[in-house]
Amino acid sequence: MTLRDILVQQIINGLSLGAMYSLLALGFTMVYGIIELINFAHFNVFMVGSFIAMWVLQSLGLVGQSRVLLGLPLVGALSLALASTMLLSGGIGVLIERTALRPMRNVPGTASMITTIGVSYILFNIILLTVGAASQNYPNPMPRISWDLGGAVLRLREVLLWSVSLVLMGLLQVFVRRTKMGKAMRATAQDQEAARMMGVEVDQIIMLTFFIGSALAGAAGLIFGLYYNFTSFIIGYTAGLRAFTAAVLGGIGNIMGAMLGGVIIGLIESLGGQFLAVRWTDVIIFSILILVLVFRPTGIFGMSAHQKS
Amino acid sequence: MRTKKTPLLSRLLGVALSLSLVVTLVTLGGLPKGQAAAKVLYVGVNLPLTGADAEDAELIKDGVVLATEETNAKGGVAGYKIELIVLDDATATAGQYDPVQAATNAKKLVANVGVVAIVGPQMSGSGKAMSPILSEGDLATVTPSSTNPDITDPKFKDKFRPKGKAVYFRTVTTDAFQGPNMTNFFAEKLKVKSVYVLDDSGTYGVGIADSFQKRAGEKAIKVLGRDQLNPKEADYTTVLTKIKGLNPDALYYGGVDQAGAKLAKQAYDVIPKMIKGGGDGMYSANLLKGAGFPAVEGWYATIASPHLLDDPEVQPWVKRFAKRWGKQPGDYSITGYNAALVIFDAISRVVKSGKPVDRHSVRDAIQATKLKTMQGVVSFDANGDLASRVISVFQIKRNPKFPDDDILHQYKYIGVAPQQ
Repeated sequence: MTLRDILVQQIINGLSLGAMYSLLALGFTMVYGIIELINFAHFNVFMVGSFIAMWVLQSLGLVGQSRVLLGLPLVGALSLALASTMLLSGGIGVLIERTALRPMRNVPGTASMITTIGVSYILFNIILLTVGAASQNYPNPMPRISWDLGGAVLRLREVLLWSVSLVLMGLLQVFVRRTKMGKAMRATAQDQEAARMMGVEVDQIIMLTFFIGSALAGAAGLIFGLYYNFTSFIIGYTAGLRAFTAAVLGGIGNIMGAMLGGVIIGLIESLGGQFLAVRWTDVIIFSILILVLVFRPTGIFGMSAHQKS
Repeated sequence: MRTKKTPLLSRLLGVALSLSLVVTLVTLGGLPKGQAAAKVLYVGVNLPLTGADAEDAELIKDGVVLATEETNAKGGVAGYKIELIVLDDATATAGQYDPVQAATNAKKLVANVGVVAIVGPQMSGSGKAMSPILSEGDLATVTPSSTNPDITDPKFKDKFRPKGKAVYFRTVTTDAFQGPNMTNFFAEKLKVKSVYVLDDSGTYGVGIADSFQKRAGEKAIKVLGRDQLNPKEADYTTVLTKIKGLNPDALYYGGVDQAGAKLAKQAYDVIPKMIKGGGDGMYSANLLKGAGFPAVEGWYATIASPHLLDDPEVQPWVKRFAKRWGKQPGDYSITGYNAALVIFDAISRVVKSGKPVDRHSVRDAIQATKLKTMQGVVSFDANGDLASRVISVFQIKRNPKFPDDDILHQYKYIGVAPQQ
C-alpha cells in the first residue's frame, strides 16, 4: 500500500466512525438544545438499541455471519430491523423522559443530569445481568461485497452506513426546518415560556425530542452491530463519550454542528491512529474537548446560544 | 448455530442462586474459629466469573470444584472436609477482571482465619493486586493460569511479596517463556521475518507482548511497530489499516479476549491472509464464541502448560469432567484441578507432620510440594514458579463435528514451542 492508499483507507475508516458518532451526537445535542440537559442515559440507549436490533435479526432466523441474504429479502430484513429498533429505542427514550426526567425538570442544579447517569447505569446493568458480559456475535446478512480503490478497500457495509446516516440526518433537517412540529421544537429551544404562551405543547415537544434522539441512537446501535459484527454491554461508554465530544465540538445544541463534529472526531481518530498511535487517540480527542471548552465554548461552528436548534 | 439460549427467567434465577450461594459460603467462612472443631478447612477461589472471561474462568472453577468434590467423597483431606469460598473478581465497570476487586477479595480471604490457601486468580492483573496482600497475610495462592513473570520475580520482591516468602505459586509456567517461545515458533516453524506487536494495555498483555518483542530482536525478526489497544474501544480498523500498510509477515497480540475477540473479527476483514497469533489469552472459549468462525480461523495461540487433553492417560479424567459438567474441559481446567490437589496434598502433609493446620504451615508445605499429577511432577522454585516450563502451541481450525465454541476440538494442537 502506498501512503496515498493508506490515507484513502483511513479516511474511509474515519468517515464510518464519524457517521456513527454523528448519529449519536444528534441525540445529545437535540436534548441539550431543548432543555439544556446533558443526557448521559443516551450512551446506553445506543447500547440497548444494538441489542434490540440483534434480537430482531435473530428472530428472523439470522445468526452469525453465515446466513447471507441478497436483494429484496436483505433490504426487507434490514429495514424491518431498523424500523423496529428506532421505534423501540425511541420508546425507551420517551419512557426515560416521562418517568425519570420530567419529575426533575424544575429541580434546580445538576439533579436531572445525575438522574441520567443513574438511568444509564440501570440500562447497562439490565443488559449485563440478562445477556452476560461476553461479546455477542452479531447477525449480519450482508454479502461481503467490496470495491478496490487502488490499494484501499471500500466495503458494502461502509456505503450502507454512510447512506443510512445521511438519509436519517437529512430527514431530521427537513423535519426540524420545514415542519410545524420542527418549528415548535425550535421555538421551545429558544424560549420555553414564550413557546408555551404561543400554544406550543412544551411537554409533548420535549417527549418528541427524546423520541427522535433515542431513535437515532437505536439506528446507530444497529449500524454499529452490522459494521463491527459484535455487540456487548460495554459499547456505549467509549462511543458515547466521543459522540458527546463531537456534540461539544460542533457547539452543543447545534444540529449541523453535531454532524460535522462527529465526522471530525472520526477522522481524528483514524488519522491520529495512523500517524501517532491508537493508544493516544483518547488523549487527542479529549484534549480537543478541553481546548474547545476553554477557547470556544460555543463550539467551532460558533453559533450563539439563542440559535440553538 | 450453536448453544441454545437459556430462557431469561432461568438465567436470572441462576444469577440469584449463585449470588446466594456465594453469600452463604462467605458467611459460613466468616464463622468463628470454633467451627474448626467440625473439621472443615476453607479454600478460597478467586476468578473472574462474570465479564468477558467468564466462560474460561468457569472452566477453571469446574476443575477446582471437581477436585474438591472427589476429595471430599473420598473422606476429605486427612480427616478434614474441604469447603470452597468462591469469589468473583470481575466488575461491571471493567467488563472483565478488575484488579481493585481482586485486592478486595484478597483482603476478605486474608481476614477469614478459616481460609488456609487460595486457588486463583485467572488473570495476572489481579495477581499483581493480590500478591502483596497475601504476602502480608502469609496466605498462599496457587494460580492455574496467570503467567506474568514479574509477580514472582525476585527483582520485584519489595512490591509483590514484601514479607519475603513466596505466596504466589503456579501450576503453569510464565510469560518469560510463553512470549519468547512463541517468537521462536514464529521464527523457526513459520519462517516469519517481520512482525507487528499489539497488546491490550493489561498487565498480562503488555508483559507477554514485551517478552515476545524482546526475543524477536534476538531472533532477527524485524518489529515493524508496537501499539496498544483500549479493550473498551470498538474500532481497531485504524490500527489494522496501519498494519496492512506496513505489511509484516505476522501480527502478534498479547492480551485477553475483551479486545481479542474484536481484533480477530476486524483483522479478518482487513488482513485476512496475515499470520496471526497470541498467548493463552487467545486460547479461549469466549473468543470462539464472541468472534466466531470464520474470523478466528487460523489464529495461533499458546498455553503455558503441556497439552494433556489428547493424552490417553488423561481420558478417564476428561470423561469424569464431561460427566460432571456436561461440557468439555480446557487445559486450564487441568491446571485448576491440579492447583486444588497441590493445596490438598500440602494440607495432608501438614496433618501428618503433626503441626497445627493453618495458612502458615500450609504455605510452607506448598513450597515443598513434589506431587505427581496429570501434568507431571509439580514442584516449585523458591519464588513459587513451576519447575516444568512447557509451552504448547495451537492453531484454530474449525472442526464441524463439534460445537463452534468447544476449545478442546476447535484448537488444533501443533506441538511444543521451541525453547531456543
